[in-house]
Amino acid sequence: MSTLHVLSHSPFGDDRLTSCLRLIGTDDALLLSGDAVYALQPGSAPFNALDARRLNLFVLDEDARARAIIVPDWAKTIDYPAFVELSINHDKVNSWL
Amino acid sequence: MAKSLLIITRQSPWSGPGAREALDIVLAGGAFDLPIGLLFLDDGVFQLAAKQDARALQQKDLSANLQALPMFGVEELFVCADSAAQRGLDPSGLSLEEARALTATEITALIDRYDQVITL
Repeated sequence: MSTLHVLSHSPFGDDRLTSCLRLIGTDDALLLSGDAVYALQPGSAPFNALDARRLNLFVLDEDARARAIIVPDWAKTIDYPAFVELSINHDKVNSWL
Repeated sequence: MAKSLLIITRQSPWSGPGAREALDIVLAGGAFDLPIGLLFLDDGVFQLAAKQDARALQQKDLSANLQALPMFGVEELFVCADSAAQRGLDPSGLSLEEARALTATEITALIDRYDQVITL
C-alpha cells in the first residue's frame, strides 16, 4: 500500500514536514504545494533534511515559480493534471491539513 | 505629535491576504505622514525574495507595492536577520534594498522605540 503525502504549509511555522519525514514509507511519495515549497529554499534546514533523504519528491510547478524557488534535480515538478494522476497512482492520499 | 507605529509582518506572500493587509496599513499610514515602521519577521521575510512570479498563480505582485514604500515616506524598513538566515535568504539579495537587517537584540530595542506595535 502506498501513500501520497501532501504538504501545503510553510516548514518554518510548525512540525508537519518533520513529522511527515519521520512517518513516510519507502513506497510513499511526498508532494509539496503552496507554502510547503519553501522547504526547497537552499541553505535552510528543511532543504538539507530533504536532500539527505532523497525520497519520491514532487513539487507543484506554479507554486514554486511564484515563490522563486528553484527546484533541485532530485525533485520532480508537476502540474495539476499530474497531481491528479499521482493521487490515482497511490492507494491513498494523506493531506497534512 | 502623532504616535509612532511599528508593523511587524510575519505572513508569507502567497498563503493568504495577511501580507498584503499589513502592507496596506503601512502604506495608508505613510500617506498620512504617520511615523511608521515595518519589520519583516519569520515567514514575512519571504515577501522580500527576489524573482517571485505572481503570474504563476494569476495574482497581483506584492513586490511592486513593496517598492512603493519609500515613495510613501516609509523609510523605516527592517528585516530580522535570524529569520532570513534560517530560510536561506541572503539579506543583501532581498528585493527591498532599503530594508536593514537587525539582530534579535536590535529588534528588542526597535520595538521599545515605537509608541505602538501591531503584529500580523
